[in-house]
Parts: sequence; C-alpha cells; structure tokens
Amino acid sequence: MEEQDFILCECELEPLRDFVASLEGNFEVVIAKAPSTCMTMIQAEDSVEFQDFYLGEALTTECELVVNGQRGYGICLGDEPVRGYCIAFIDALTQLPGADLKDIEAFLTQQYQLIKQAEQLEYNQIMRTRVDFKLMEQE
Amino acid sequence: MGYVAVKGGTEAIHNASELAEFYRVKGDTTPIDIKQIRAQMRLAIDKVMGEGGIYAPEYAAIALKQAEGDVYEAAFILRAFRTTLQRNYYSQVINTREMFVKRKISASFREIPGGQILGPTRDYTQRTLDTAKATETVIDIKTFLDGFDAKIDPEKLEGISTFGKVIDLLQQEGLLAPVDPTEDRSLVDITREAIKFPAPRSARLQMMARAETGGLMALGYSSQRGFGAVHPTVGELRYGTVPVRVKDAGGRNRYIGKIEVTENEMITGSKPAKKGTPPYFTIGYGLCFGHNETKVICMSTLDTAMRRPEMGAPANDQEFVLYHTEGVEAMGFTNHLKLPHYVTFQSSLSNTRAAVERNNKTNKEVEQQMIQMQSV
Repeated sequence: MEEQDFILCECELEPLRDFVASLEGNFEVVIAKAPSTCMTMIQAEDSVEFQDFYLGEALTTECELVVNGQRGYGICLGDEPVRGYCIAFIDALTQLPGADLKDIEAFLTQQYQLIKQAEQLEYNQIMRTRVDFKLMEQE
Repeated sequence: MGYVAVKGGTEAIHNASELAEFYRVKGDTTPIDIKQIRAQMRLAIDKVMGEGGIYAPEYAAIALKQAEGDVYEAAFILRAFRTTLQRNYYSQVINTREMFVKRKISASFREIPGGQILGPTRDYTQRTLDTAKATETVIDIKTFLDGFDAKIDPEKLEGISTFGKVIDLLQQEGLLAPVDPTEDRSLVDITREAIKFPAPRSARLQMMARAETGGLMALGYSSQRGFGAVHPTVGELRYGTVPVRVKDAGGRNRYIGKIEVTENEMITGSKPAKKGTPPYFTIGYGLCFGHNETKVICMSTLDTAMRRPEMGAPANDQEFVLYHTEGVEAMGFTNHLKLPHYVTFQSSLSNTRAAVERNNKTNKEVEQQMIQMQSV
C-alpha cells in the first residue's frame, strides 16, 4: 500500500492520467466524492524529548470512487484533482476481488524505477557537496 | 475610549484596489508564470508557507504574485485562505530521521554520521552582485543544467541512505539533560484554542513554526548576544524532504506525499539544576516548512530561552516572544494604525487643546503676578 501510494503521489501526472484513462472504460465508475481540496494538519515532534506539536497544515486533495462496487480513496498533497482521482481509481481496482493487476503492476514498476532514478541522481548531486573540513593546525 | 467606525467611500476603495492592480501590471511586461515563481523564488515561497502556516507551494506562489512580492501580505493571504477549507486529516507524526537529506551540517562536531553535507547553500561564497543575471537566457540555463548533469557518472551512482543524528550520539553518551517531569507536555493546537500563558511547549513550538522569520531573528539574536544568556551551538541543521502519512476513511495508513522542512537542534550548556548534578547539555528545537535556516536557528535558540524564564530578558519571556513574533497579527495591528481613527484622535485633540489652554492661562497669571510684584 505504502509503495503504491508513494509511486502514485510522486510519479509524473501525464503518464498516470493516460494510464487510468486507458483502463476506465472497462469498469463502472461511480464518483462518491468528487476531487476536492481540504487540509491536513501535520504533526511533528522534537527529536530529543519527543514532544508532539503541530507544525502547520498542508493543502490536500481527496477523492472517493466506487469501481465495480469496490470503494477506493485517493489522497495526495496539493491541489491535484486528476492525481486524486487516479489514486482513488487504482486504490479501488487493486482491492477488487479477482481483478487482473498485471498492467497495474507493470505501470507501478516502471514509474517506481523512474522516480528512484531521479531521486538517485539528485542524491548524488547533493553528495558532491559532502565536505571534510580540516582544522587549521592539520595538514 | 471605544472605536467609532467610518462608513462610505466604497467607490474610492474599489478604485484604490484597481489602482494597486494597475501599478502591478502597468509596465505591460510578460506575466510571471506561477511555475517560474515556484522554481526561481524557492526561498520566498518557503517563507510565505512557513509564515502562512500552510504547506502549499503553488498557492504560495500565487499569493506572492498577487502581493507584488510582499512576503507578509502573501503569508496573510494564505492564512486567510486556510480558514476556508475543512481540516479532514491529521498526519501521523513526521519522522525527520527518515528525511531525504539535501543539507546536513554541524557546527559542534567535525565528524558526524554520514559526514557534513553542505547542500544548496551560499554560506561560504561572497555576496557579490551577479549582474550576469540581468541578461540570463533560456539557453544559459540549459547550458548550466547540461553541464551540471554531466558531472555525475550514471554508471557510478551511490545508493540513497538516511543518516543518524548528532544528538543521538550525545544522548547515548548520557550528556543531555533528562526531561523535566514537571513541564507541561500536553498537545494543544493554537489554531483551535487561544493561547494562555504559561503555554505548554507544544503551543510554543507551533507558534514559532509559523512565526515571522525577522521577528524570531530579532529576539533569537538578542539572546545570542547576551540578553538572557543562551550561548548556543548548532548541533545539527538539516534540510530535506519527509514523507507525510494519514489514515484514510477506511482506516488504512496512506502515504500522501512529501514536504520540505528545515530542522535544527541547538546545543546549550546549562547550569546544574541542583548541587551534585552534572551540567548537562540542553537541546533547543526548531522545525519549519520549507528551507529557512535563520528561522529554525532562532526558533531553537528561543525554545531554550523560554524554558529559562528566571533569566528575565525579553527572549526568556514566553508572552513577549510569542506575541511579538506572530507576523500576521503584528502586521495587522501595525497597519491598522493607518485606518481612520478620526473620533479617537479628535478626542485626544480636544484634551490636548484644553490642557495647553489651561497651561497658557496659568503661565499668563504667573507672569502677571510677577509683573505686579516687580512694580511694588
């Protein structure tokens, strides 16, 4: 679940939209709650004494669909109605008893690789700034 | 003395608002794209989100554009916007130990877990005006990006990892002050209940997380200079992204995205609480939306300062710190002074006139008495 949500929240919007559009026609989709924005309060804690506190709110999009009778929820940060809809659709689909998930798994795998590749490149650019300061008296 | 409202002026107010819009666009230049603001005004966006108390980079960019770059005004707009939406979720506690680190430094230790990572910083470069920015083109940007990417060999990529924290080392060594069992550890939400003093630490941290950077810096700096005597060292400062998770309506844990945060743990030496106990280190904590290092350094300094009210300096006074660093309220009050106060001022005008008249009369009487005495 965590990995699926991670991929669907972090992947590019266009391939996700196209992928869901290619599947939608095969199912009966009822919009239980159209994509709309709301707030999520972010909880944090201090890293030493673990004192909980509220950091602030984050703009969130939520959507609820019923696909062939199976309910799915889509939640993501930002004002992202299309992504929210797509997440809810795939959430419902992956819970449908007996559903063929091959295409979904292939899409998720492909997108996961793209996300991780981009992350790794960024990480390696960041690691170029790793420093080992020497004290003045050191050679 | 109560306030007396004014009425009328609708047309002039409408025209003034239209005129402000005219001044925003009168140069007849290309409209700034929201994507451009998000990408190229990264730190301004982060300030607006941090002070507006809402993580929404796209909306922060819109607010900044609408406010002609005024960060206070943009934060105000976001705060107002926040109240128009329902809060449907509370996230699980974010874990900064699983941060995708973009910057991580310590001023206390040279060698830290994973090493010092400078990340995107201008700390070590001179602040010289780069006039080439005035003529920067799309081609310049592309050339830079291509050259930047070429510095990485895609065949030799290091795997992504998370890093242990500096303060964990101090903790393991038993050098940190134990948690004060008498401190109020309740979790309150200052957006839902009015703050009361003394405020629990959760309220103080929440208020500082959305406080105005300049206000925090003024008071944090006062403490660092000796007014209240907090002599801090940056234990570890981190900037990066952390995952956000909530429970959906079906009760399942869901990943909903990641947010950028800056975090700082400030180490301060402390006097022993009582004779015979060691002088443990205390940690002040700072965390805010986006990339804002000044804010978290001062937040963590003030976190420590406010736990020492006996020091008696402004930075040690919760009410002083929290009320005066609340940017939207401070800006609102300051700017309300421009609004009509005619009746209030008329009243003070008549009082002053009467007092001056009385004073003149008394002076004249004394003068006449002196003349009379001199003539005798």
